[in-house]
Amino acid sequence: MSTPPSLTTEEQAEALDSEISTIRAELRALHHRRRTLTTSLLSSRPLQRLAKRHQESSPSQPIRTPKQWADLSPLLHASSLHADLNHHRIAFSTTAFPFTDPSPTAEARNLLGVRIDICAKDGRYTKPYYILLRKVQPPMPVTGDAGQTKKPQKVLYVHRHTIPAVVDLGTLERVYLPRAKGSATGEGEGGDVVQGTEEEEEAERAQLKPWKHKVRPQNLSGFVREVRRQLVVWHLRCDGVRYLRERLGVVRREAEGAGATGYGEEEDGVWERDVLAEGNQETRIVKNDLGIVALGATALEAVYVRVEWEDGRVGRFKISNTGMVERAVVMGDSGRDKLMEAVLTGGNGRLETLLDRLRKHASDAKPPASVSEVASETASEV
Amino acid sequence: MARSKYVRAPTTASLPGDLRIPSSTPSLVKTFSKLTRQALLDLVFQWLDDRNIQNFAPYLQEVNEGTEREDDGDDEGFRPYPAERTINGVRNAYQELQFRKGGKREVIERILDGDWRHGVTLRQLAMVDLRYIDDHPSCLRWTALELVQIGVLSSNNPSACIPRVHASTFLSGLQREISPLVKAHYHLGRLTSLPLTVLRVFVTTSPYQIASRQNAESLTDSSRTIYVAFPDSCPFIYTSIASSPVASKAGSATQNSPIATDSRSLQRLVRDAIPKALSLPHQRYTLKPTSLTAKSLEALLSFRGPGRSNRAGGAFSIFADAALEGSPLDPRPSSTVSPEEHVRQSTSHHLNTPGGKENTAADSEEVSYKIGRPPKRSLANIRESQISKKRALALQARFGSSGALSSAPLDRLDVRLLDALTGDAKTEEHAQQTPISLTFTGTDVIGGFRKLAELGIVDAERMPSWMTGEEGVSTVVVREGKRVTKAGG
Repeated sequence: MSTPPSLTTEEQAEALDSEISTIRAELRALHHRRRTLTTSLLSSRPLQRLAKRHQESSPSQPIRTPKQWADLSPLLHASSLHADLNHHRIAFSTTAFPFTDPSPTAEARNLLGVRIDICAKDGRYTKPYYILLRKVQPPMPVTGDAGQTKKPQKVLYVHRHTIPAVVDLGTLERVYLPRAKGSATGEGEGGDVVQGTEEEEEAERAQLKPWKHKVRPQNLSGFVREVRRQLVVWHLRCDGVRYLRERLGVVRREAEGAGATGYGEEEDGVWERDVLAEGNQETRIVKNDLGIVALGATALEAVYVRVEWEDGRVGRFKISNTGMVERAVVMGDSGRDKLMEAVLTGGNGRLETLLDRLRKHASDAKPPASVSEVASETASEV
Repeated sequence: MARSKYVRAPTTASLPGDLRIPSSTPSLVKTFSKLTRQALLDLVFQWLDDRNIQNFAPYLQEVNEGTEREDDGDDEGFRPYPAERTINGVRNAYQELQFRKGGKREVIERILDGDWRHGVTLRQLAMVDLRYIDDHPSCLRWTALELVQIGVLSSNNPSACIPRVHASTFLSGLQREISPLVKAHYHLGRLTSLPLTVLRVFVTTSPYQIASRQNAESLTDSSRTIYVAFPDSCPFIYTSIASSPVASKAGSATQNSPIATDSRSLQRLVRDAIPKALSLPHQRYTLKPTSLTAKSLEALLSFRGPGRSNRAGGAFSIFADAALEGSPLDPRPSSTVSPEEHVRQSTSHHLNTPGGKENTAADSEEVSYKIGRPPKRSLANIRESQISKKRALALQARFGSSGALSSAPLDRLDVRLLDALTGDAKTEEHAQQTPISLTFTGTDVIGGFRKLAELGIVDAERMPSWMTGEEGVSTVVVREGKRVTKAGG
């Protein structure tokens, strides 16, 4: 008896709750918008110019609205500083900042931070990458008996970083920031995980024969440049592969597709997981005139791309650091398809024009069917 | 009449995936009942899929054979689940179960007594196990190992040393390595919840093809199963094999005695074979311990994974989560934006949601977060007022966003302190030499430290960095508050 009214009240409560939540969402959106607008207004050039002019002329006219400007000026100042910072980050892409290591046991608490901002294809910036370097006075070499009287210079170590494993920072550090090998033993306690036993052995050898292991000077700018270059190249490769996929068209698999309705519709494509996409959702290439059923990077580094055609041919090509299709292999049921390989690497070789080349090849090969034997063969396959 | 078919000879072939375990084996029920009803049904639908139906053929009633029909009919009378005549019939039966509510028991019984009464294949069993890992990512203890290229130090080639794994090549390499020693069944699958590819290796001692009847129980023995997880594009692998010191001890034991057939040494054989199978000519790999063992795969992925947080734990997690500053296009000064908002914004950027403008994308998530637990929020507010501002700041500085925004729970932290206790050191000479071992266990050790610091029990500013999760390890040797690595000590 009592259930129907309680149900309706529950329903009512639910409806109210959802209404409240939507209103809250709207409120938050508006709040957010207001903040963005306020700050962009504050950092806008006319306002900044006005403030500057006002500051210059303020001693002459101290009576007119002094309070409002005084209230505004710290905000204006902060936003102009922030705008400057942002301009630096956009223009130079690599910026440095100081950071204090909060650990009480750290020997060098002042860290040099390097921030790398990379712009992705859609005009957004990726999460900034950070490298935190530690400057340490190496201990006086114990075995420095001959001619090593001068004080060793401070050396830089990579303390912490957020560079993904795609860029091998350890190797880059070894190349660009070499350390005096004698100091490696003393530094092993500093929490350096990268150091292995081989380096230890090398250090011992260096101690025995110091003239053979001359330490190259550390090259911080070279190091940062190379790290940034590799990161940018990686992002460009990823964007290139994404661009190709987008041009072909990508369909996402619905979550419930695996269950009841999953049968029978498998023939229209291969569901695959895109390595570069966030989340583990399965995607599929839209049916296209090129007959490509799958195209995607084989690993997160996006150096190799795998292509699959609907007639069963499977291809794989390598993207070079300059965005060229460097090498390509296409295997069909009857062996290698050299013509398709030539098409993949031919032309200007750019990754971005790959689909155009394929399309041109398809349109060239189809009508005459007598350009060459191989061409007609592939055409009939398609 | 002894049939020549039954002559058994030792071979180096792997165990076939379609080797059937009789469905009457009691441990099968246990294995299957680990899964939920929906997971079981999902698996069955996967088996009955058009592409997979040859590999997982269900038992069908044969229609055309006239002589055996009577027998079948008798048999069917006893069976609670009569065999279907067509595959579509089987599918319909499970779809009926899908729409009906009920326990998982009936699904398991239907699988074992009904449609797969002729036996469950090893591959099906492997799929069940993988599905369980997928649903329960913390069900095993995983050890992270680093793949190191041998002799790469001398060459100055600054390219990433990540071996490319081609599944079938890798598996045939692995088979080549371990087949003279153990017989194994391999199953490679991808987890849906985490970006991991998991290899399940089931090892047996016998070099003979197993006659399924007698060894049915041993085929479902979970101690003979090894899992190796490969994260995407990073030089680490995770194994479910027990930690390396034990393995090395077993290694020394096997060098003395040539035959070791306990499951631990079999596991060691498989582990040793993995880097060899990944190696290429002029590109040899070896495995290096990374002193991280944890139950949670998320923790392994964040500390030894492909992402940003490998070498930026603890206080530096603000950099890994990009919680410190926004993108260069953000007009708001970073001091006015909360770290949560930074993180959310950068993730929404990353996800590339359609129509994800700066004004809208981040907000829906925040609202759900806020609506989901309003009472907690108010409680937190009260508590926040209680904590002194200074402590909160110190907490933020020491732990960063770890334990609050991102979760990488370590369930165990072993610490070995090589320092003498400062107070007692003067009185007792002996105390200086005795190292102290500490072991912390719990669902989230670092999170627990954070909580202690939040409550003021531990002074956050004076904490050594290994307590804040900065090192990203589960086994640590400490001297003077600093971690000592094997190479240095």
